[in-house]
Amino acid sequence: MKLGPKAAAAAITVSAALALTACGGGATGANNPAAAKTTTLTLGTVQEIRSWDPAQAHVGHILQPYQAAYDSLLLREPDGKLSPMLATTWKYNDANTKLTVDLRTDVTFSDGAKFDAEAAKANLDHFKTANGPQMAQLTAVTDVAVVDADTIELNLSTPDPSLEFYLSQAAGLMGSPKALGTEAIKTEPVGSGPYVMDKAATVKDSQSVFTARKDYWNNGLQKFQKVTFKTLTDLTARTNALVSGQVDGTLLDPKTGKQAEGAKMALVTNQVDWQGLLLMDRDGATNPALGNLKVRQAINYAFDRKTILDQVLLGQGTPTSQPFGKASGAWTEELENYYSYDPAKAKQLLKEAGYETGVTLDVPSVPGFETQLAVVKQQLADVGITLNVGSAITNTYTSDVAAKKFSSIYFTLFQGEPWVAINQIVSTKALYNPFKNASPELQAKIDAVQNGAKDAPKLAQEVNKYVVEQAWFAPLFRVNQMYYHNSKITVTPQIQQAVPSIYNYSPA
Amino acid sequence: MIPFILKRLGSGIVVLLAVSILTFSLLYVSSGSIARNILGDQATPEQLAVKEAELGLDQPIVTRYFSWLMDALGGNLGASWFTSEPVANALATRIPVTMTMVVVAMILISIIATLIGVAAAVKRGWVDRVVQIGAIIGDSIPGFVIGIILVTILAIQMGLFPATSTIAPGVGAEAWVLSLTLPVIALLINGVTGGAQQIRSAVIKQLERDYVRTLRSRGIGEREVLFKHVLRSAAPAGLTVLSLQLIGMLGGVVILESIFALPGMGPMAVTATIQSDQPVVMGVVMYTVAVVIVVNLIVDLLNGWLNPKVRVS
Repeated sequence: MKLGPKAAAAAITVSAALALTACGGGATGANNPAAAKTTTLTLGTVQEIRSWDPAQAHVGHILQPYQAAYDSLLLREPDGKLSPMLATTWKYNDANTKLTVDLRTDVTFSDGAKFDAEAAKANLDHFKTANGPQMAQLTAVTDVAVVDADTIELNLSTPDPSLEFYLSQAAGLMGSPKALGTEAIKTEPVGSGPYVMDKAATVKDSQSVFTARKDYWNNGLQKFQKVTFKTLTDLTARTNALVSGQVDGTLLDPKTGKQAEGAKMALVTNQVDWQGLLLMDRDGATNPALGNLKVRQAINYAFDRKTILDQVLLGQGTPTSQPFGKASGAWTEELENYYSYDPAKAKQLLKEAGYETGVTLDVPSVPGFETQLAVVKQQLADVGITLNVGSAITNTYTSDVAAKKFSSIYFTLFQGEPWVAINQIVSTKALYNPFKNASPELQAKIDAVQNGAKDAPKLAQEVNKYVVEQAWFAPLFRVNQMYYHNSKITVTPQIQQAVPSIYNYSPA
Repeated sequence: MIPFILKRLGSGIVVLLAVSILTFSLLYVSSGSIARNILGDQATPEQLAVKEAELGLDQPIVTRYFSWLMDALGGNLGASWFTSEPVANALATRIPVTMTMVVVAMILISIIATLIGVAAAVKRGWVDRVVQIGAIIGDSIPGFVIGIILVTILAIQMGLFPATSTIAPGVGAEAWVLSLTLPVIALLINGVTGGAQQIRSAVIKQLERDYVRTLRSRGIGEREVLFKHVLRSAAPAGLTVLSLQLIGMLGGVVILESIFALPGMGPMAVTATIQSDQPVVMGVVMYTVAVVIVVNLIVDLLNGWLNPKVRVS
């Protein structure tokens, strides 16, 4: 058969038309403006859940899907306040070494098992031994005792001001004692939470589908009939899925946020991380210049933080000189602009420190932070400090940090509760204090926080002040997390989380 | 024929072994942080040591390699260090998505590139110029850029296709077709333009050969000359190009699968590599190398069948 040009053109037109009609059927529906309130929630998540075993739960972005399946002992409200959930009351002894927790008696797990003191103990014991990514949350807990059917006692080796917070996070998630430690719970959660997994519709690395649990004890928290977590690790994919209506909410960044705003998506913003330099070798073990306080302060005065923020993050953040987060309680107004941009002062300090001829600073390159490092390098050069950007960090990064391979690093870090932050960047046990810098004065302030119980956040202001004055870091800014959602739902931001807790979503 | 296949399979096994040793050694370099990556920032040295012992990271590399090899030979590829999912399972659920995409794209590329290449070679003139210019344009735009352009226009603005994959259990053929159309088109454009160009040159080269003139002088029709003789002789060049494209495509789909959120091998390979999830990386690499070996073998056999001159004695 020979096709003339006209016949060929006709054939192409016909097949194109057929293809378009065929395609038209599938894509609508999702965009249909619903007259009634939506009963489904579809969220784009940035990471796949490794295992549904509650002991394998993580912080931040990754906690949210677990909250669909599991209730926690304490509930963390959007503003950070801790409220009862599976625990009704909880109280420390005077020495803060024993936490007595009263539990609800009317809760069952989705497999029918009853939630009681034995179940709570089984979970906490399991968490301590299951080698999960947050196992450090229960490091201070030596043992869990069952007092009666609805009371447990957590005995601590040392006071831990973050413990109550942890019981609202990974360590507080309660799974069915029958399922803990089995192979099955890794792929199918068994909790007492508002939703149960629809195993048939769930595909690893693609989506996890949940439906409302019948007779859930806490109806106020169950706002949808169906919740789907769609795994979208790629930022472009998340943006496309949101603006085309495939997901109701997801985490974007300043640049893709513009596209979402163009598509009339609403923004929920929150500050969760800080970004800047960690001047880790404060005793000058490998870089003597860093052992000099004036040099570290000069580095801090060298930065025009506002300009850097505008250039690299389109202004999405707040310039700061302190590493502790605004919501942590350790934050103070006076430290916010402690080091204002003053290149002349920076040069003067270098001169006084005897480093008039210049200082060299080595940092590893951080993938994704190339622009930041270029601007930082430029501004340091302006006051006579040379920033050598070395080879890129790899998956051995954390062990390289621990092995004192870097005297300073440029990084972005989570701003958690004060005691969490102290154990992350300040104390001698902290991963990001590899040279184990310490002083009796600082240790006294840290001890005060540890034993401070309810006053811990306020006492941590002193730790914050110390590390700012001593220029342990050169923070640049807190970063705005850009969570976007469509008009079918309302979303309340959750303190210290880029991705809100599952309870914070409601039909609009 | 049989000795040839056996010989090729034998060399394939050597290649597999060599690649496995190389990959294992490369992963060994970055395995120092595994326990910390799994347990988090605040894990104590004791907790790290326990985890390392659990994963066998405290063993010397040679011991670890042989224990992996023995398991692999017994059909056990191990389980992911991060998710505990058996690697064989992980591969079995991802391969269908990736291979559907690659095979459909390959079949379409073979047909379209051959048609266009032959048309350009036979007609020359403006047809040839259009093909040449198209090839340069098509070749110079990376597949993922084409993918993003397609999503923006056809999915987001026109709503004809889903922006990201809707493939899920029980969704039916329609979701598969709709989800795979855009990524396959993105693969297609690069493949067709590259392939057509090569097939065009191969056909032109054959058309200039003496035997074609002889065939024509004996009164054999132009169509028979083209399809029975020229295409057959030009096939080895075309097949080689297409097989190289298929192998290259296994790399190209990684980015496309991420952009379209397709649950294929790509995102799994990327995540596993970033985390140094050794069992998964080894599984993906071994599978990919096996595909390359098999594809090469098939191409050699096809070449021999099409053109007796290249047959190995």
